Amino acid sequence: MTAGLAVQVRDLQMSYGPAQVLRGVDFDVRYGEVFCLLGPNGAGKTTTLEILEGFRAPTAGTVRVLGLDPAVDAARLRERAGMVLQECGFPRQARVGELIETWRSYYPSPRPLADLLEVVELAESRNTQVRKLSVGQRRRLDFALALAGDPELVFLDEPTTGFDPEARRRCWAAIENLRRLGKTILLTTHYLDEAERLADRIAILRAGRIELAGTTPEVAARAGLATRISFITPAALRRGQVVLPDGVDLVVRGPLSVCHTENAAVTLRRLLEWAHRHGLGDLDGLAVTAPSLEDSYLQLTGAGAENP
Amino acid sequence: MTRSVRLAARQALLEQRSFWRSAEYALFTFVFPLMILLLIGAANVGSDLPGTHIKNTTVFVPGILAFGVIVAAYVNLGSKVAVLRHDGVLKRIRTTPLPSAAYLGGLVASTVATAICITVCTGLIGWLAFGASPRPGGLLALAAGLTLGIVCFATLGLAISSVITSAESAGPIAYASFLPIAIISGVFDPTFSGLPQWLSRMVDAFPVKALAQLLEGAYTVRPFPAWDLVNLGVWTAAAAGFVAWRFRWHG
Repeated sequence: MTAGLAVQVRDLQMSYGPAQVLRGVDFDVRYGEVFCLLGPNGAGKTTTLEILEGFRAPTAGTVRVLGLDPAVDAARLRERAGMVLQECGFPRQARVGELIETWRSYYPSPRPLADLLEVVELAESRNTQVRKLSVGQRRRLDFALALAGDPELVFLDEPTTGFDPEARRRCWAAIENLRRLGKTILLTTHYLDEAERLADRIAILRAGRIELAGTTPEVAARAGLATRISFITPAALRRGQVVLPDGVDLVVRGPLSVCHTENAAVTLRRLLEWAHRHGLGDLDGLAVTAPSLEDSYLQLTGAGAENP
Repeated sequence: MTRSVRLAARQALLEQRSFWRSAEYALFTFVFPLMILLLIGAANVGSDLPGTHIKNTTVFVPGILAFGVIVAAYVNLGSKVAVLRHDGVLKRIRTTPLPSAAYLGGLVASTVATAICITVCTGLIGWLAFGASPRPGGLLALAAGLTLGIVCFATLGLAISSVITSAESAGPIAYASFLPIAIISGVFDPTFSGLPQWLSRMVDAFPVKALAQLLEGAYTVRPFPAWDLVNLGVWTAAAAGFVAWRFRWHG
């Protein structure tokens, strides 16, 4: 398998009894990137992560994490990969600083304590007892513990689920800090804005399959969604003095004219030629909107109407 | 190997710090047995066991020693591990390269430290306040009894932790599962007697009285405690088997 990939997943399948949770999942994570497994609840995100972390053995398929097979080499993997599980507690009476110090002692070459506190923005809470931390601070302490061994790769399972906006914002800042350290990050989320904001590449997981993978624009493009072109309906067009352009699916919705196209450049050229021919000028309010990740996600997961 | 020992020691240190920081654990584990020692000891001071010249407190003090060991090793470790499991701390440990044995070893080492602390305090108070001290040559028996007792009840503590399903019920279940047995074993009352025969046999089968008698042997001359040793050995083996079968790292 390729050495240049931090994570390689091929035809991963997982069944719990008769229930097939993963039905052949494939994706790669490159070194140094933030990769996001995006999908609704129950899509198989956590199961995938648990297999990559070596907590579960898959029913079928191959998995390599940092060149290791997690089912065989879990111990070695844990020295090189940090894991933030979805829900995981702390010893109730421990203080932030001493807990991180203890975690550092588990690893052969840990990061310095001060540095860890800074990355997760908990320097001022160093002597606070863990039970007195807020939900968001606890999550950032999760990050610090996962980062204690200075891992090459960090797994984050739904890092901000149930957080208020301020806690999410600080959590995201901490993840950005991780990225800046050059860590490879594999995160799962069911929040679109989180994926869009943090990820270099995204794979949409639904019902145990990867529906789409790529950069945000690639994902949107591959979802087969049309680019939307709109402009203010020229008076002449509204009065019916101009015929609609050929080969363009233009719909006049009162003051706004809209068309959807899979080839924005060709459509745009045709529209502008048509406008020029009929003396409509440069088409006031002309806007070209690329399909957003949200559009593709909603279309794929069937959670919303297509192309509103 | 040395790394595991070092890590276990470090873990024990963290546990000890957390233990003494937590009022509820420290209070119930430490203050409770000593309070009982002082209160009931004061009521028994000066009197002899019926029909003998053995002072009540000579039997009562080793009984409280046994009680302290059980609270520290069984109640404290058992409820602690149940809470750690419930809170997901055990699960988190599994995400690190820390060997399981080093982690559990650290927890047990911390438990041993607590048990030793409480034993020393109980022994000193028993000696200074009630004049009860180990008989000449009894220190070896005391050390052996304490070691066996801590091993047996710590293993039982790990076993009971697998039965406890919520953090809230951890302390109550751990206490409720041994306090009645401790009472009918006569740990708090050296003159305790008059149990129906079947109940008395049951008490003999449990490890509480066995440990109390082992420790008593360090204070007064008793016949060689073969049966008590077998009793603790069997309970330790059974508990260890149960731990191997049922111990889980996640709730």
